[in-house]
Parts: sequence; structure tokens; C-alpha cells
Amino acid sequence: MENIAQIRNLKKSYENGNIKALNGIDLDIKRGEFVSIIGPSGSGKSTLLNMLGALDIPDSGEIKVADYDLTKNKNLNEFRGKKIGFIFQLHNLIPNISACENVEIPMFAQKISSKEMRNKSLSLLEIVGLKDKAEMLPNKLSGGERQRVAIARALANNPSIILADEPTGSLDSKTSNKILKQLTRLHEEENVTLIIVTHDMNVAKLADRVIEVLDGKILSKNDDSLLDSEISI
Amino acid sequence: MSFLSLIFKNPFRNKSRALLSIIGIGIGIATIVALGAITDGLISSAEDTLHAGGSDFTVSSKEQDSSNMGSFGSASFNETWRDKIANESNIEWAAGVYVGNVVTKDDPFFIMIGLNKEHYNMVDLKIVEGHENTAENEIIIGKLASDTINKTTGDTIELDDKEYKISGVYETGNSNMDMGAITTLSTVQNLMDDEGNITSIYVKVNKDADVDEITENIDKKYGDNLTTIASLSDIEMVGEMVDMLNGASWAISLLAIIIGGIGIINTMLMSVFERIREIGVLKAVGWSSKRILIMIIGESVVITLTAGVIGSIVGFIGVEALTYFNLMPGVTPVYTVWTFLKAFIVALIVGIVGGIYPAIKATKLPPTEALRYE
Repeated sequence: MENIAQIRNLKKSYENGNIKALNGIDLDIKRGEFVSIIGPSGSGKSTLLNMLGALDIPDSGEIKVADYDLTKNKNLNEFRGKKIGFIFQLHNLIPNISACENVEIPMFAQKISSKEMRNKSLSLLEIVGLKDKAEMLPNKLSGGERQRVAIARALANNPSIILADEPTGSLDSKTSNKILKQLTRLHEEENVTLIIVTHDMNVAKLADRVIEVLDGKILSKNDDSLLDSEISI
Repeated sequence: MSFLSLIFKNPFRNKSRALLSIIGIGIGIATIVALGAITDGLISSAEDTLHAGGSDFTVSSKEQDSSNMGSFGSASFNETWRDKIANESNIEWAAGVYVGNVVTKDDPFFIMIGLNKEHYNMVDLKIVEGHENTAENEIIIGKLASDTINKTTGDTIELDDKEYKISGVYETGNSNMDMGAITTLSTVQNLMDDEGNITSIYVKVNKDADVDEITENIDKKYGDNLTTIASLSDIEMVGEMVDMLNGASWAISLLAIIIGGIGIINTMLMSVFERIREIGVLKAVGWSSKRILIMIIGESVVITLTAGVIGSIVGFIGVEALTYFNLMPGVTPVYTVWTFLKAFIVALIVGIVGGIYPAIKATKLPPTEALRYE
């Protein structure tokens, strides 16, 4: 299967090079793969996710995602709008517009009519089981429902990859399970590449592959792995 | 949902803040509308005076006398000039008038108009109460003056130590004339101690005659002594007054732009800082910096245009209230498309200028920082 993401010797540092967030990452991710990225706080896992979503620019190295060379391409908005669907720990929905309108937000960059936007938004809310709550404002929805709206929003432009940063981090375990089921179902049924950053080993082990990041590097299989110890428990 | 409807919804998330901004900018807009309507009203009533009773132009002395505001600053001249003007070709009628200021108990600049009765119809004078002045010691008073000094038919008024009886109240529709009182030309000449002189001649030309040609002819013939005034711009003093009022109006508009602009910058900056995370999400879902810029500036313009609508209504009601309670005697406000258009142009400029800085600030936010913002 072809690679959807190809990363070579990717480096990123902050505070004049004092903090090396990524320190020579090499990674290939296959189209349709479900990958989870784990690691302790400050290990560089979120920076890696941001690089994959073109939210941040590397200092050096190569990164190609969905046929876009992110180190050379200037039109990163277009890339994010067309190829990536983001899900954040906090849903970050716009509070004064309905669930349906929140799902429409990414579609503004596409040239489609308001009616088409609405129809697509409703069908996405149906996928996440919230069609009946389409007209509700976010503050009338539960935490889990808001995150499901955020998932529907991430799917708005038929992305090649969904990047989820701690998608269940602010939810209780019951709601987390529901959200994870939804994400895995989407991955299986829609063949969407799914990359999740998580602290939670139970979430991580649902993936086809688990990548562990420590001090800005991907741990090799021979390294002492947090994954081995956690999963073996 | 369209992009436009999002722009219309966003400013009212924080209703009290939006309302305060609207009030602040609305006060500036209301002032612009009110001042515009009053300035246009003053200009219009001055124009009415020039064309009293449908006269086409006014003839006045070339000499200036700034002490006499009633005659637009022109000095008096011999009334025999009236006959000369009346005998010019294509002149339908010419009425000699003396307009002067007399000190009364109630008004130090009470306008007295000396006009012979045969010319009453020429200034569209209508008696609305009582009757025309018949005796030497009788005057008729304008409706506005009557309301202002609270004197009416049967009352007396002291002019230059002599009592005059008010025989009737008149209306001409010209606020400058209705702010004064009329009596015979000779009486006013006596009052002003200026026998045999007049301050202006109202002239009406024959139908289809060329006003410019006639005024040019008069200026050429009698230019050493007289001058013709066909429009306000012909009068230096009135021109200066109009320039001053227009200047004040623009100065207030500029102040409204500056104060309103600072207010809206503050409002929009607070709005942007409250929504940093949201702006990060918009960037993450593919919104371009240009779209975010348009959204923030659009929200700013929505606030200022709302203030424009409310301010225009308040300005209109305020001026009407001043007129209703007779707090601006002699001024009939005039509303033109420009009065409101100017207010809306100011609102639009304030919106765009005030929105630019917060919008640029929003677009410059790196998405990762915006998403991390607590």
C-alpha cells in the first residue's frame, strides 16, 4: 500500500534551539492506516501531529503528506482545508452557531452553495448520530455530543487524513469509548487514515500501529518501550 | 449558513459589549446627522430669504455693513434705486425692503422688516391671526417670533422706546421672515434712523427671461453701487458662515471617526483575544488569512453600520424634538440623502479602520499558538 505520509530527518526546535521538540524523525504512514502516537508530555508527539497537519513548519528535513511537499508548498491553507481533518482535545466549536453550522465551517473554503453545505452537514451529523440535534447550540449539547460534532466537522471536506490530538482527553470513559468506536468505524468504513495522539494506552492499542515518541525521536523496537510495559500490564 | 450570516451573527455574541460600542459610535453618528440637518436648514432658510416670495434675485448695496445681520451684512442704499431696477427690461416686479435689527426687551437682535403693503403678496405673506397693519403704530409679527417672544395679536411691543401694537400674526414659510415683524417701510426707516434708504430689492423677472443675463446687465450698469445676489455663494459673509458650519460638521465627523475608531479597535481586539482558539481552529480547517481578515473587518463594519442606523434615527428624533420644543427658532432642519449618506460613510470608515488592526492581529497568530491559547 502506498504511503500517505513520508517524513525524513524532521527537526524542529523552540526557544533558539534550546528545546528540541523533534530531533530527526523518520516515519512512513500508509494510506488507510490507523496509527497512534504515544509518549510522555513534552516528548514531541503533538509537534509531530502539527507537522503532519501543516500547523507548524519544520526547521529542517522533509515531510510529504497526501502528495503535498509541506516544506516547499506555500498554500498550506488549501492543504489543511482539502486533505486534513482535525479533532482537538477540546471540541473548539463556535458557541453562537448551531451544531449543523459548526460542521459547515470548513466548507466555506470550498466553492459550494449554502444548500449543499447544509445537506452535507446534516448527513455528517447523521453519521455521528446527531442529526436530531443539528439545530442546537453547542452549550445545549453534552461533552461527548460536542466532540461528535467536532468529528463531523473534521470530516466536512472528505479529508485524506484525520489528525486527532487527545480526542477523548476531556471525556469520561463511557463517552470516550463511544467516540473511539465512532472513529474506528469511520476508519474502517470510509478507509480514512487516522492518526491519534494520546496518553491513554487503551486508546493507543486500538490502532494498527503504535509509534512511541521520546525526546523528539521515535523509539525503535529495541528501545525500552513504554508501550511494551503498559500493554503487558 | 453563508459567510455573510456568520459575519452578522458574530458581533452579537457579547451583547452588552456590542451595545456599548453601538451607543458610542451611534452618538457620533447622531451628531453628524443632527448637525448636517441643522446646517442644511440654515442654508435653506438663507436661500429662502434671498428668494422671498419667489423672487429670482436680490439686489443689495456693494458696501458692507457687518453690524446688520438681517441684510446679510450689506449697507443700506437709496430707495430710488428700486425704481431704476423696476424699469429695467424683463423685470416683473421689484420690491424695496428694509431689514434691520432692533433691540427689544426679549431679543437684542429682533428682526424688523420694512415692506410696503402692495408688496405683501410678493413675499407670500399670509395673515394667520388678526389683520394687516393699518395704523402707523401697528405691526404684524411672524409666527415664529410670536411663539418665541410669546406675544400675539392685541399685545404691544416696545421698539426704540416707542410702543407698537401687534395687529396680526403672519406666515411666509420663510423662517428668517417669520422670525421678525413687518411694518411699513417708512416706519422701519424711522426706527433705524435711515430715512429714504432700503437694504435690499427683491426682484422677479418675467417668465422665460434669463436671470443670469439680467443680473449681469444690472451688475454692469450699476456695479459701482449695487450688487446682485442670485445664490448664497454670491454673499461673502453667508459663504463664510456656511463654510464654518460645514467645517464644524466635518470636524465632528473626524472626531467621530477617531473616537469611534478607537472604541471599535478595543471592542474587536477583545473579541479577537476571546476567540484566539477559535481562530486557530478556523486556520486548522483551512480558512485563509484573507477570509479571517474579511470576517473580523466585516464584524467591525456590522457594529458600526448598526450604530449608523441607530445614530441616524436618534439624530433625526433629536433634531425633530429641538424643533418641536422650539429650541431652534428660525431653523427648519433639512434632511437630504447626503445627510444620511455622510453618516453611513463615516460609519463604514470607522468600521473598516477600526477592524483592520484586530483583523491583522488575528491573521498573524500562528495556528499552533492559537490552539494552545488558554
